[in-house]
Amino acid sequence: MTTNTFVAGSGFLYRMDPRAKIMAMLLICVLLFLAITLEGLYATVVLLILVGSVNTGLRHTGRTFKSILPMLLFMALFMPFNVRSGQSLVSIGSFTLITREGALQAARLGGRFIGITYACTLLFATTPMTDVMLALRWYRLPYKASLVVTLSFTYIPFIADSFTQISESHRLREGGELEKRRSVFKRLRDLLPTLTSALVVALRSIPYLAMSLEQRGFGRSEKRTSYHSLDSYRHGFTDFVISLTIPIVFWLTFRAR
Amino acid sequence: MNCPAKGGKELCLEVRALSFTYHSWKEAKNTPVLTGVDLCLEQGSRTLLLAPFDRGKSTLARIISGLCPKYLPGVLEGSVHVCGKDLAHTEPWQLLLDCGYVSQNPQEQFVALSVEDEVAFPLESLGLGREEIARRVDTALTNWGLQDLRSSSQQELSGGERKRVLLALQQAVNPRLWVLDESFDDLDRSWREYLTTLIREGEGTTLVLASRYLEQFEDLFDRYALLEGGKVRFGAKAEILHLFSVLCGDGLANPLKGQKLSKNVEHTLVCSDLVTVRTRVSTLEARPFRLSVPHFTITSGDLITLVGPNGSGKSTFSRLLCGLDEPRGGSFTLDGKKMGARDLNRSVGYLFQNPDLQIFLPTVREELSWSLKRRKDLSPDQVTAMVGECAALFGLDLEETPSTMSYPLRKALQAAVYYLLDRPFYILDELDNALTYSVALSIIALLRRNGAGILLITHDRTFASLVGESTYAIEAGVLESI
Repeated sequence: MTTNTFVAGSGFLYRMDPRAKIMAMLLICVLLFLAITLEGLYATVVLLILVGSVNTGLRHTGRTFKSILPMLLFMALFMPFNVRSGQSLVSIGSFTLITREGALQAARLGGRFIGITYACTLLFATTPMTDVMLALRWYRLPYKASLVVTLSFTYIPFIADSFTQISESHRLREGGELEKRRSVFKRLRDLLPTLTSALVVALRSIPYLAMSLEQRGFGRSEKRTSYHSLDSYRHGFTDFVISLTIPIVFWLTFRAR
Repeated sequence: MNCPAKGGKELCLEVRALSFTYHSWKEAKNTPVLTGVDLCLEQGSRTLLLAPFDRGKSTLARIISGLCPKYLPGVLEGSVHVCGKDLAHTEPWQLLLDCGYVSQNPQEQFVALSVEDEVAFPLESLGLGREEIARRVDTALTNWGLQDLRSSSQQELSGGERKRVLLALQQAVNPRLWVLDESFDDLDRSWREYLTTLIREGEGTTLVLASRYLEQFEDLFDRYALLEGGKVRFGAKAEILHLFSVLCGDGLANPLKGQKLSKNVEHTLVCSDLVTVRTRVSTLEARPFRLSVPHFTITSGDLITLVGPNGSGKSTFSRLLCGLDEPRGGSFTLDGKKMGARDLNRSVGYLFQNPDLQIFLPTVREELSWSLKRRKDLSPDQVTAMVGECAALFGLDLEETPSTMSYPLRKALQAAVYYLLDRPFYILDELDNALTYSVALSIIALLRRNGAGILLITHDRTFASLVGESTYAIEAGVLESI
């Protein structure tokens, strides 16, 4: 009922202390929303993509980008029309279609979206979920809250997995040359039952997840122990320094004046 | 007498006058699943409870584990005591050391993200020290042959491997009562033998619920019972087996013997020099899985069985054969013509091990008509007639909601969906799980009646002998005819 987001590897990010990684992730997300230049924003994004490619491989990095591509296209198509004021870039007669400000805002939003996606993906792809949970508990988050956070992050890929399985099943049920030719609109409409089914599968699994957690003793009065520990991460201090330094250096270098 | 008089051994499970009716989401009330069940198990006893499908076996198991009606709402009457605890006042987590339940569908029980974490989770709940948890996890994983898979996620495991993880978890916790719902299904022969040994040599109490009498059950149990008409009936082994056999229709003729096929078409699907390699994304330690198929042929009307240990690649081969995955090397030809993945999608029907991955729509009618409605050669009236006829053949109610139907009925619906597609070939991945032989055989006969070639994946030798005319096996990553 949950899907693993971890991708095995041996890069430097895998050896980095998860507590420091969580801090780096949060600081980078904050940095993306601070008043920095567009160049600075995209420099951060490029750094994240590079780090991702070195650690989890080009394939995983590409797949992450592919998964957010529809959303990015949507932003690129519609965001520029939202801002009507400023220097006109594209116009039909006297009607301004796209302004410079609109295009810049779309670029900024797109950059933030890609940045946040990669920052989160890098954390969960290079850290086993049990270590993420231990790190959250180190930050004094109660066990139940940590469990909810980690379960949520594994539940989203589970819905994506269900969607793939249902699409595969539909593929096997197609009629081939006997099948009616379907327009693009109809094909898009056909996605709806698949999406609905994936959501239904996900919703149906919730009571089973709760059932299994209780069966495994979740809720008992004994103090819960932990099979794993964060002792194997040996360079905690250095990792914290790196996690603090990079976002601060980026902010100092690229802050808007 | 289902409950021995007090004064004998201490009772581990005491069920008295138990009745249960599922909550109905429609106007009409549901019929009771269990009515006045009395069931008492003495400490250390080993009991086999047989029941044909859809008779309340899994419901009973969930009630004993404290999960029903808490999570599956319904009206419960009577009393259930597990190791002296009254379940009316006990939460499931309080039963961790008293009752361990292994579900028929292992997927629904996974909570952690790796095999070792799954086994460690309840031990952490018990508050055990790290060394003790590590020792128990290691022992259980070694015993169940899961050491190489310890960091794998459940998505990367086969059905049999998932079952082994849940059984390893039971072994690590070692509760006083083990409730095993169809736990021998999905396991290959060697792991069935291991489970048999574990039950035989264990000091705890075991309740095995099954819808088939397997060869491994011979001389394993000291009590035999039958669940029929909502009641549990104990008796001598011979008596219970006879009654069960009658209920399951074992005396009925095998519909595959001498079956007349209605279509006289002849198709041959050939796979040559197939190679596929799969890596596990969750671990760097495991070697990549490699499967090669030098030659495989299936012709219309064929009944072929495919056997192999858990995780040997049976489902991987099935995915290649129906075009869901593409091989790294090799080719497929149908009647001499080269086939791509899309052609295979339309020529080979693949009934997944888990029917829930293939049925999604709100009613049986919609599920059956989904593909037919998309065909240009059929009018709405023809679709209605075909759907009605198919539902009657498979014993399905068109207005029923698939998600609330029993597991075997969902399997029947999954088969009915493919029957309407009229594919030249079908792969049936462990169709016999949780079905009686007679029901599984009749489903195969229906799918084959238009001349389809059948490839059946099964771990049950008896069932394989009833079906297969020829057999392929996967050993050490190579699929060959035996």
